Amino acid sequence: MAIVGANGSGKSTLARHLNALLVPDDGYVRVGGLNTRDPAHRAEIRRTVGMVFQRPEDQIVATVVEHDVAFGLENLGLPPDEIRARVEDALKAVSLWDERERPPHMLSAGQMQRLALAGILAMRPDCIVFDEATAMLDPVGRQATRQMMRDLNDDGLTILTITHRMDEALDADRVVVLDHGRVALDDVPARIFRSAEVLHRLGLERPSLDKLATSLRRAMPGLPEDATTVASLVGAIDAYPHQTALLAQEPPAPPAQTPAIIEAHGLSHIYMRGTPFARQSLDHVDITVGSGGAHGLVGATGSGKSTLMQHLNGLLRPQEGTVHIAGHDLSDAETDLRAIRRMAGLVFQRPEAQIFEQYVGDEIAYGPRLAGLTGEELRSRVRWAMDLLGLDFEGFKDRMTFALSGGEQRKVALASTLALQPRVLLLDEPTAGLDPRSRAELLERLSGLRRTGMTLILASHEMADITALTQHITVMDHGRSQHTGSVAEVFADGDRLRNWGLEQPVITQVAEGLRSRGWSLVAGIVDAEHLSHALARQLTAATPEPRR
Amino acid sequence: MNDFEFQRYITIGQYLPTGSAIHRLDPRTRLVAGGLLLIAVTAAPSLAGIGLGLIALFLLTTLARVPLRYAIKGILAPLPFILLLVILQILLGPEGEAQPWILFGPIRITATSLINGARILLRFPALILAITLFSACTATTEAVRGLDRLLHPLARIGLPVQDFVLMVQVSLHFLPLLAQEAERIVKSQASRGAEWGTGRGGVLRRVRQTLPILVPLFLVSLQRAENLALAMEARGYQGQAGRTSLITLRFDRRDALALALVVALSVVILVV
Repeated sequence: MAIVGANGSGKSTLARHLNALLVPDDGYVRVGGLNTRDPAHRAEIRRTVGMVFQRPEDQIVATVVEHDVAFGLENLGLPPDEIRARVEDALKAVSLWDERERPPHMLSAGQMQRLALAGILAMRPDCIVFDEATAMLDPVGRQATRQMMRDLNDDGLTILTITHRMDEALDADRVVVLDHGRVALDDVPARIFRSAEVLHRLGLERPSLDKLATSLRRAMPGLPEDATTVASLVGAIDAYPHQTALLAQEPPAPPAQTPAIIEAHGLSHIYMRGTPFARQSLDHVDITVGSGGAHGLVGATGSGKSTLMQHLNGLLRPQEGTVHIAGHDLSDAETDLRAIRRMAGLVFQRPEAQIFEQYVGDEIAYGPRLAGLTGEELRSRVRWAMDLLGLDFEGFKDRMTFALSGGEQRKVALASTLALQPRVLLLDEPTAGLDPRSRAELLERLSGLRRTGMTLILASHEMADITALTQHITVMDHGRSQHTGSVAEVFADGDRLRNWGLEQPVITQVAEGLRSRGWSLVAGIVDAEHLSHALARQLTAATPEPRR
Repeated sequence: MNDFEFQRYITIGQYLPTGSAIHRLDPRTRLVAGGLLLIAVTAAPSLAGIGLGLIALFLLTTLARVPLRYAIKGILAPLPFILLLVILQILLGPEGEAQPWILFGPIRITATSLINGARILLRFPALILAITLFSACTATTEAVRGLDRLLHPLARIGLPVQDFVLMVQVSLHFLPLLAQEAERIVKSQASRGAEWGTGRGGVLRRVRQTLPILVPLFLVSLQRAENLALAMEARGYQGQAGRTSLITLRFDRRDALALALVVALSVVILVV
């Protein structure tokens, strides 16, 4: 079963009632017939229902992997031999047995999330609740977690997943939509995802395959909209009579590379250099970002994207190699790093966690004030930044930052960087944790900024964000810049992407599926419009009815 | 440029699984030995005793295969504060002492005050080293388990020993996390034009810039603590009572030998 809903609709609160972490003010919750209100049942309820949370690092209790898995079993009061046997089973089930003696903070985010799952599995629960457990993972880690959920479900466990990804909700037999703390819909996925309008009102969207099918329908009337897998949609399209002898339409020429605004060569960085925790984060990275337009950074978790971003705005000076930002050499001791950082604004992951002022206006004014702006000039700068993100100046400037919703806080954090009027805006996972509606809105704002001539650099696990905004991509893998190319070229090769811990966007998967069945399409199509046009050209006009 | 890596200066609370002979001792042995050395170094009356303790701790660090450079880094971080203490101690020496070397207004430097200063200069690094070494050699779970057993008699008379044990361990576990969060916040402020990591800015400016870090750091820590508590509760934690453990404690001959050596060492440190 899946629980979906906008930010703040009450999903996590509901989940926490299911294993008695919260107890209802009113009404009751029964788990296997036991009322959560009765403290005597709590231990049994928590054994029955396990929970995996969003941030992997927050769930780790111990400083050694196997001790962490044992934690829940120790709480159950099992004898040491039994604990040891179950820890071994659980660690092997998530393929972490070889890491059992390592400290958890040396694991990757994906491994940590598997460790959290092992801790739950060892308790042999009947039901596992995943509270946005895939939100911080890269595409491959996400796929692995989804597969594990399906396998556990096949083994007879009840799986409950809370997610902002409609594609994941499709895995479920039943979907519950929450809206402002109420159950708005409760049905099988096919019926839940039927109306785009209703979903939009609830802060949601349709799964990406459904959206694609809808936009292809203009070219192919009658195309079924309820395909649940890429293969079934490809099959349905392939059933249309079409000619295959056509030459593939030449792709629109990728926008020419503009003069570089940021250049890094042979850039290496070691975290905690000279300590036992030293870790090579960047290994001879080369990257060139053209002025104007948008450049994407993709790669598995821990591949060095965030560290690279911190070099590209002058937060870190290179340990080895060179970085030039608008002609300034970062290795040069004379370079004014503060001026560089103002010119290349960096928005961190979950930037709302770093808000420190009490009022929205003060928070956004922090940067410009340090830059020396005062009085009316400062005021109009703050207003300008708020306008860019659609925050009403009069309405928001005196609001308390801590009382805002998650989506509003994200906007304030973004505005506080934009208030520096940077020429380059670097964004690290800007849409992570946002519900579909807030995400779509943010992407729209960002492409608006791009149109004003601002250079965007975007690091993301969300392939759809990358294709929506960027033209050129650099792929990071184990601290190295593996490949730089146009969006179409990078996304064309699915196997190569999987090796890098990535995946093709759904549209590309469908296009490549059709290509392998003989349709004349260019490689690496990422745009639904483009695909629709290309398919329309090949349809044999007379037969609009599909053979089903 | 390591201005942002606060973590590298925090060696307390970091577990380093090197698998050395010390790591293989019974956790209780490590706890008692660590406690004894701490007490000895704290209470040692003579400069020679403290010096001996410091040397012994460095030897133990090597034996535990904890890199010396790493251990020393943990000592260097608070050195400015220690030096300040030393200077105050020397300048404001006890009155009535015979023959001050230098007498200038309220400032009197005497032989005793110099020795006192030297004692502080050695004592604090020894203390930090002892704690660093202990946390590098002992996983939190082991320490909780060992302490729990050691303090068992106290629990019998109704003291909340087990909760106390857990509290100590969670706080130690939190130190590196706090450093990590502070790093994130400082970086985000620096990228908005604050004077961090540029190698400039006076002391006053730095102090003033510390304030805006404290608010988010406090909030983030509270949030992380809450998340941790939630994760623990979700896995059925209801206090230490009735818990068992993966770790079976075994006190054997090697432990007895190690303990005997540490007891002897502590006595020497205290008597010399």
